[in-house]
Amino acid sequence: MSHHHSESDDDDYSYDDDPELEDEEEEEEEEEPRSSRKKRGRSNPDPVGLRGKKRKPSGFIEHGEADLGAEDVGRHRHFHEPASFRSSRVGAEEYLDFMQEKYSNPRAEYEDDGDYEDGEPTHVDQQALLPSVRDPKLWMVKCAIGREREVAVCLMQKAVDRGSDFKIRSVIALDHLQNFIYIEADMEAHVKEAIKGMRNIFANHKILLVPIKEMADVLSVKSKTVELARDTWVRMKLGIYKGDLAQVVDVDDVRRRVTVKLIPRIDLQLLADKQEGREIVKKKAFVPPPRFMNVDEARELHIRVERRRDRMTGDYFENIGNMLFKDGFLYKKVSTKSISTLNVTPTFDELERFKKANENGEIDFVDMSTLFANRKKGHFMKGDEVIVIKGDLKNMKGWVEKVDEENVLIRSDMKGLNNPLAVNERELCKYFEPGNHVKVVSGTHKGSTGMVVKVEQHVLIVLTDTTKQHIRVFADHVVKSAEVTNGVTKMGEYELHDLVLLSNLSFGVIIKLDSEAIQVLKGVPERPEVAIVKHGEIKYKIDKRMNVKDRYKNFITVKDVVRVTEGPSKGKQGPVMHIYKGVLFLHDRHNVEHAGYVCVKCSSCVLSGGSYSGADRIVDSFSRLGNSKPPVPPSPRRFQRADSGYNTGAGGRHWSGRGGRGQDLLVGAYVKVRMGPFKGYRGRVVEVKEKTVRLEHEAKIVTGKLDLRYTHTWFAASTPSFSNMGSQTPIHPSRTPLHPCMTPMRDSGATPIHSGMRTPMRDRAWNPYTPMSPPRDSWEDGNPGSWGTNLLYPPESPYSRAYEAATPGSEWASSTLGRSYSDAGTPRDANNVPSPYQPMTPSSASYLPSTPGGQPMTPGTDLDVKSPDIGGDAETWLMPGILVNVHKAGEDSNAGVIRDVFPDGSCVVALGDRGEGETVIAIQREVRLVCPRKNERVKIVGGKHRGSLAKLIGLDGSDGIVRLDDTLDVKILNLDLLAKLPHA
Amino acid sequence: MFFHIVLERNMQLNPRFFGRNLRENLVSKLMKDVEGTCSGRHGFVVAITGIESVGNGLVRNGTAFVTFPLKYQCVVFRPFKGQILEAVVTLVNKAMSISFMYLYDFFFWLHLIPDDTEFQAGDMLNYTTSDGSVKIQKECEVRLKIIGTRVDATEIFCVGTIKDDFLGVINDPAAA
Repeated sequence: MSHHHSESDDDDYSYDDDPELEDEEEEEEEEEPRSSRKKRGRSNPDPVGLRGKKRKPSGFIEHGEADLGAEDVGRHRHFHEPASFRSSRVGAEEYLDFMQEKYSNPRAEYEDDGDYEDGEPTHVDQQALLPSVRDPKLWMVKCAIGREREVAVCLMQKAVDRGSDFKIRSVIALDHLQNFIYIEADMEAHVKEAIKGMRNIFANHKILLVPIKEMADVLSVKSKTVELARDTWVRMKLGIYKGDLAQVVDVDDVRRRVTVKLIPRIDLQLLADKQEGREIVKKKAFVPPPRFMNVDEARELHIRVERRRDRMTGDYFENIGNMLFKDGFLYKKVSTKSISTLNVTPTFDELERFKKANENGEIDFVDMSTLFANRKKGHFMKGDEVIVIKGDLKNMKGWVEKVDEENVLIRSDMKGLNNPLAVNERELCKYFEPGNHVKVVSGTHKGSTGMVVKVEQHVLIVLTDTTKQHIRVFADHVVKSAEVTNGVTKMGEYELHDLVLLSNLSFGVIIKLDSEAIQVLKGVPERPEVAIVKHGEIKYKIDKRMNVKDRYKNFITVKDVVRVTEGPSKGKQGPVMHIYKGVLFLHDRHNVEHAGYVCVKCSSCVLSGGSYSGADRIVDSFSRLGNSKPPVPPSPRRFQRADSGYNTGAGGRHWSGRGGRGQDLLVGAYVKVRMGPFKGYRGRVVEVKEKTVRLEHEAKIVTGKLDLRYTHTWFAASTPSFSNMGSQTPIHPSRTPLHPCMTPMRDSGATPIHSGMRTPMRDRAWNPYTPMSPPRDSWEDGNPGSWGTNLLYPPESPYSRAYEAATPGSEWASSTLGRSYSDAGTPRDANNVPSPYQPMTPSSASYLPSTPGGQPMTPGTDLDVKSPDIGGDAETWLMPGILVNVHKAGEDSNAGVIRDVFPDGSCVVALGDRGEGETVIAIQREVRLVCPRKNERVKIVGGKHRGSLAKLIGLDGSDGIVRLDDTLDVKILNLDLLAKLPHA
Repeated sequence: MFFHIVLERNMQLNPRFFGRNLRENLVSKLMKDVEGTCSGRHGFVVAITGIESVGNGLVRNGTAFVTFPLKYQCVVFRPFKGQILEAVVTLVNKAMSISFMYLYDFFFWLHLIPDDTEFQAGDMLNYTTSDGSVKIQKECEVRLKIIGTRVDATEIFCVGTIKDDFLGVINDPAAA
């Protein structure tokens, strides 16, 4: 075997890195001449489409031919080499026959012959040459790993030995495919015959047929013609530097080797030990961190450092062992195979590290231009603002006029430069100014948009639209855009801001999604903890609706606004977005970190108000059933109901304004189910999801089966399947507004009262008290940005406030209702101030602001609705001498004893359990009754026994059994009507 | 910049409000609906100053609501790039940004503060220059220049700078 030949082969297969393979190669070549001589006899009718790409088999035959022909044709591998064959000993005719046989594909005859004469087959011809059913098939045969080539060679040897009765056509072993070889044959039987008795072939294993469509793929080679230029950024593929960024310093095209510059990962101590011949304890799986080489440090460890001059470049290098160092970088010669050049986009950190070494920042800009090597076509578009970064015109700004292949015509507004200038694409960089709105089109932040706030040469600092974070991006990676996106908001089934369970059973909210990883703010209230996880590490999305209690045992549901009163996030407030395992995730829009999300323990929060989702009551009732005494005084419950009902109306407006969730208006409406298993049920809508409505059944309340009170009902279409029963329907005892609890349930014996009052679909705007020149609060109405703050100050008990005035008319006259609220320190409440008449008149039709006092107590249409008990009930539950909790906005709640009640509903409260503390003035909504316990003395604050003293002798659900002091009668009254008395 | 302009809007009114005070109701509803909103085109509606005309109401099919076309004068505020504003700092945070309240909850992100200004954590978050002479904290008044605006359909978002001549803190009630 001539050396020349072997080298040529070598070159072609590019095994120069792999001595083992090289050996095989040689072995194979030794056999080649012999085998091919015979092989030629059974010519291979392989279509040219495969042929051109096929390596190994073509290798066999071609070499055979070549060797037979002339010693000097070794390098030529194409069949279009008539010259060499003409000179062959065997003769041209034979070769022509062979060629004829090979290429005369029956299908090719249909094609235009002219194409062939041109010698350049068109695309169509290539298509026609693809294998068909009539061609021999490819079979995939399993063999021992690492023995693929050996097997192929053995088969070849076998073919030589057996001659023409060996029916297979060719054998292919691919370098990238382990464990398998391909055999080309007409029948499976031929393959079986051929591999019979072969040592390294698993003959009992199934022989797989390669589908015709995939045959071409088997042999196609991906063309990797990436030019390696100096200064290109590459990544290492092998060794301890695997994945590291490197910069090409020198390219040796002939030997296919490049010199790259890396940040060394060298353990100096280990090196020193090695040099001194000390025993080295091998620590496996330890890769030293990348660190610049410090020669002095090395010398201290007595490592021999030589300073040598490179012959070629004239630069000085520090030599340690075989390694070359310069400026702390390691210069390493590697094979082109061991670096990856495709899609190398260095990250900022990496570049910064590289930058550090070369102190002078001047290089930077030019250096960065090397990043542009990976630019896509059409990078610059007409109209783009660009800056020249190299050459004479450096720092000249201009606009792209036209883009040619490599050159970009730019127009500058500089004086005297009227004609567009042609500049090489590589010398240009996009230019942005602070204030530009851009979109990131590649890199790690791909997809996000934001505003440029700072430009540091080619690096932009962008304030993203959604997360309000500053990100650093290359100017090259962004385009101007008016579009606003969140970046990626969805990854698989997970969306931004979803609550998810992670694989280690921790949970958190997704606060950022990018192309590779998901950032999750974990549910750890002690400190903000962000986990970066992969998609697979998320187990599932938690989609539960849960309720928890806040510090004061108020029930918090999703969307309620809470304030954090302790812990690291103290002072933050916002709507609750998720609740899980007693941990709340708030969204504080003033919080810039973690996309505004804050994770807190529910017990360190205080409910500031919020939307009504009905669920608080069910839990409330449960706790009462269980006789556990919630410290919530009963009355607030009542008023919560009242105000939240109201709030829903208002809230609905907000939501619908923001997210088009107009269906929220349905919340609180009385509906009747028209179809499905719950047909005929009536109830109040407590929650509206897309196509689902959650109803609260009235009937179930009466029976007290609380667990069945809520029923999911699916509707094909949301509204048509139930009819809104409107406000006139007399069926709703629960519509008796305002003081349902004033009618003790057992006493009246008939009407279930608990459902709270509601004037559904109420629109705040119709409130007669709407100030004509709205105060600040009116801002909130339309400004979507401020809805959150609005929720902070919902009216606590607007209805009751109206009622507590003994003479409602006087309030009308005073028209300073709004102001009285501002006195209370919550000016924004003003627009929530309800009409005092609304509760009485659910249709609330006739009460316009200008005609107030006229008929306040004549509720018009809905007399039937009202239960007679309620009629005369226009009293406040506030009474002197009872124990209450005073909860002023922004303060903790304090117990106190009511000393005096004013006709306008405010009262004087002496703080302290026995009223020994200072006195404060509170309005009714700031005051809550303290729930009495069994055997405690109570005062009845409503109903016909109002004012009587009694003793609570038992509890029955939400009712208390009391014995009146004066008559000693035993009565069952709603707990809401019982006020605890201070201890004597 | 503030503008006094005439805008139009179709108001829907529930029939129960028809009567003597129809107009008042319409106006009060309009105020509720419009004031404080932000449209990308016109900016923040600060106040309605007058009603130009109330068109004829049109009963809508299907509902009893009546649509009135209203023309009204209002004062709007729209920030422009390059505009100089004076504002009160309402929030200071670590991310090198300060938000300002101008009118009502209107954000400015300030990346561009002088280079020698550093963030001081503690009770009172603030930014202080290296010599300690200038302090930016909550409640202080600053003059800034808008360097960029982003206009959405319902939101205007601005980035301001105080890193320029004559910009910066002009009054600090806390320090005084």
